[in-house]
Amino acid sequence: MPGDIRFAFRNLAKSPGFTIIAIATLALAIGANGAVFSLINALLIRPLPYQEPSRIALIWEQFATQGLERIPCSPPEYLDLEKQFQSGTGLAAFNYQAFNLGGGDVPERVSGAVVTSSLFPLLGVEPIKGRTFAREEQGEGHDDVIVISERLWKRRFNADSMLVGKTLLLNGRSYTVIGVMPAKFEFPIPLFGVQGNQFAERVDIWKPVAFTKNELEERGSRSYGMITRLRPGVSLSQAQAELDKIISNWKQTYKDNYSGGGFGAKIYLLHDQVAGGMRTGLAILLGAVVFVLLIACANLATMLLARASARERELAIRVALGAGRWRLLRQMLTESVLLSLVGAGFGIFLSVWGLELLKQIGSRTIPRLAEVNVDLVVLIVTAVVAVGTGILFGMIPAFATAKPELTEALKEGGRSSTTGARRNQVRNSLVVAELALALVLLVGAGLLLKSYARVQNIDPGFDRRNILTAEVDLAETKYPQRGSDNYNRGAAMTNFWNEALRRVRQLPGVEAAAFTIVLPLSGSNTDSSFSIEGAPMRPNEPGPDEELRIITSDYFRVLKTPLLRGRFFTEGDNADAPGVVIVNDALARKYWRNEDPLGKRITFSDPRKPDPKWLTIVGIMRGIRHRALDVDPAPEYYLPLSQRAQSSMILAVRSKQDPRSLSSAVRREIQSIDPDQPIANVRTLEAVTADSVAPRRMSMVLLGAFAGIALLLASVGIYGVISYLVVQRTHEIGVRMALGAQRADVLWLVVGHAAKLVGIGSAIGLLLALMSTRTLSALLYNVGAFDTATFILVTTALVAVALLASYIPALRATRADPMIALSHNT
Amino acid sequence: MIRLKNLERSYPLSHGKFFYVLRDIDIEVAEGEFVSVMGPSGAGKSTLLHILGMHDHGWQGEYFFNDIAVHHLKAKERAALRNEQIGFVFQQYHLLDDLTVYENLDIPLSYRKVGRSERAGLVADALDRFQIVGKKDLYPRQLSGGQQQLVGVARAIIANPKLILADEPTGNLHSSQGEEIMELFQKLNSEGTTIIQVTHSAKNAEYGNRIIQLRDGWVVEPNRK
Repeated sequence: MPGDIRFAFRNLAKSPGFTIIAIATLALAIGANGAVFSLINALLIRPLPYQEPSRIALIWEQFATQGLERIPCSPPEYLDLEKQFQSGTGLAAFNYQAFNLGGGDVPERVSGAVVTSSLFPLLGVEPIKGRTFAREEQGEGHDDVIVISERLWKRRFNADSMLVGKTLLLNGRSYTVIGVMPAKFEFPIPLFGVQGNQFAERVDIWKPVAFTKNELEERGSRSYGMITRLRPGVSLSQAQAELDKIISNWKQTYKDNYSGGGFGAKIYLLHDQVAGGMRTGLAILLGAVVFVLLIACANLATMLLARASARERELAIRVALGAGRWRLLRQMLTESVLLSLVGAGFGIFLSVWGLELLKQIGSRTIPRLAEVNVDLVVLIVTAVVAVGTGILFGMIPAFATAKPELTEALKEGGRSSTTGARRNQVRNSLVVAELALALVLLVGAGLLLKSYARVQNIDPGFDRRNILTAEVDLAETKYPQRGSDNYNRGAAMTNFWNEALRRVRQLPGVEAAAFTIVLPLSGSNTDSSFSIEGAPMRPNEPGPDEELRIITSDYFRVLKTPLLRGRFFTEGDNADAPGVVIVNDALARKYWRNEDPLGKRITFSDPRKPDPKWLTIVGIMRGIRHRALDVDPAPEYYLPLSQRAQSSMILAVRSKQDPRSLSSAVRREIQSIDPDQPIANVRTLEAVTADSVAPRRMSMVLLGAFAGIALLLASVGIYGVISYLVVQRTHEIGVRMALGAQRADVLWLVVGHAAKLVGIGSAIGLLLALMSTRTLSALLYNVGAFDTATFILVTTALVAVALLASYIPALRATRADPMIALSHNT
Repeated sequence: MIRLKNLERSYPLSHGKFFYVLRDIDIEVAEGEFVSVMGPSGAGKSTLLHILGMHDHGWQGEYFFNDIAVHHLKAKERAALRNEQIGFVFQQYHLLDDLTVYENLDIPLSYRKVGRSERAGLVADALDRFQIVGKKDLYPRQLSGGQQQLVGVARAIIANPKLILADEPTGNLHSSQGEEIMELFQKLNSEGTTIIQVTHSAKNAEYGNRIIQLRDGWVVEPNRK
């Protein structure tokens, strides 16, 4: 074996050109596989950073008949479940909350969460400093303690060892830091599409929940997620059965709250929730890189076959000296595995580099991307893949040449024509396979590209250009709610919003400015149920529950969304004026199909009780695509901020120039009102829109990249085969030219052979593509999985590139001197 | 040692016809003989040698090697017998270009699963015997033709075969180098090794004690002295 390794090194060093190309090919293919496997390892395989994560589960509520799934619970529901749910060893509730961290030179908005004291023990992760919450610290007036992340501790506080016990100013209130959680700890984990958050930021501050009196009275005010740890021996289905029973009891006890909508609750394993949404995409990626690896193997096998022909004499001598077939195979496979291992070594570097690039461009697309790295598992798997790859691509040439025709090879000038023909067949088959696989990848990439282009061309219902956005979260302590009346609370809050708008509108270059509770395509959403005046309320039938937006009067001017009928909100629609609402055309069609919605009224109160607060429809807007570009506008209704005060809003500013140039000015104006008030997540609406299609774009870019690599490798493959063919047939070409063949005849001879290979490869590739593109259906928008135009275009491109690759050696053949060719000793 | 009876080697042509390279070969070679096979180009000399060396399996007839019926053996069994009993010297030397002299001598022993330390000893002996110790780390391209053939002969005998087959061993050498090789063969023969050589050279044939003449695939003179 050491002799084989030594000989392999020498042999490869003798052919630096071949060795470099082979290593580069392998580095690319194995590196791509390493990167994708790192993703799969971190996001799907590696356990979540909690104790026994496979036993942790989320509980979400749902209103099945209204199509509302995975919605949070209310505090009363949580407290009931905490007492009643026996299938878990504990239950915790959590909700996202942003904090304005003051006390430094610049106030900072930090992502946080409010959690019950049971959360940290349930997850089983200890703090690296201090402690977590005690039960007594949960509740109004006692909740002035926080736990922070190691990340924040290092970044903002330079890992101050004395920080635990010190106080920080959050939202204008003092909180004592009682603990620091380790860097690997993350909770809540960003989850797709839950609570409207497509992708929530990483949390750095945890505060104990403090359910308000209002929250404890409102069974229908749902904003908390629930998490539990399944008791040992309890299965998910058993836990679900218990949950169903509890919910059934609630429906009996609280008939008014659960009269319609198909209310229920479902328990999900946390890992499935986190990883489930990514499985299809990652599986497609894995398939793509495996294809690339197979194409690389085929390429290398054809190159090794060509080298094996030159080594026929050496192999014959070895057999004559006593080498058995296995010894020869071992020697040749040693060479290919050595190439593979060296290629894999470089490939690891490419994987690491690729992942760093992905982290930079994909941080808003793939959750938990920061956890993805090339760890020991990935290294081991890469090594195994390398050895397997080396054996795979080395096997075909090894078997093809390990039984040389001794007598012919050992005679002076001898050469075996029969084995050469067989090897040519093998080479041709490999190239056909490469072309077929490359076509499958190219078709996939083509479909995704067409789909992406279609999505990009969708009119979202607003003009996304030249709009700057920024999130503003007002601290409760400074901008308190007044009373329990949702309609007229927070005068301080309202004054702030009004003053902010006034100042921002006066900035040079500003065309219009407004606040909104959620931005379109941001992944966030709010909804609320309401009653329609005059509409019968039937028991067990769900009432309307649609997407709700709270805005200021110029919102539609900022977005340039057309008003279809009626009017926009005005300054006159203030807290003292009658309640007003604007609906979109989808909502109007849904509830007032055969009537004019203008002037109709809705209410959030129970219309059967005296003095419900009615809101009159004053305007109908064209629908905005809010959830995603490829999702039709859902029914929406809009309320004026002045009549429904909120503490967290998003500023949207339409500018005459590049909106990013307003960023500092906007921050300055906000902080001129309140120096402790930060703004966060400053980005253009174009960036928001681009982020909304980032997953689609990412899939397209990655699959496109792999398809491009596959096309390059396949082209190199066919170039190599045709070049070799030209060398082999030099004598024949010389004879043909001496007999009168013209340039075009020689070209046709060579390119014709290539065309045959390309034709067969394309035909097989098309069949394979037809069978496999169905897997992409979930990722396509307005493009069928068998889109004829894409198939034709992509196939034509592949054929053109492949024929071009074969044209170069063909051209070389036409330039051969017949006399030299005739004297060529083949 | 060797008996061939009715041995024939042919290649198929179109329309069911055959081209015969060797026809009706009946020869015997006793142990310890030094036989030269001679004849014009295309007579079938090299083919005969490769059949004797069990490189070529496409023949018909009977071949006995030390009373073992080679014609009844499978290819793997023939290879084992060849490894054990036969060494081959080629006209083009056929040294492995990417192995040093030492490694070229070591490789046939390695294929015969001889242990590492024993191989080292045998190679050292061979280097010493052929006085090429100083060249053990050189590659074939760094040697003269004669030196390469010397290594070729050393490689052929390193596993102590009973029979050496040499196909035009001096064909690519100068006369003086050729003489050296032939004298070496004579010495090996005197020590008991049976040698069968294919040669065009009457002078080389004189080193042997018998000549077999082939013409157009037929043995015309099996026992010419």
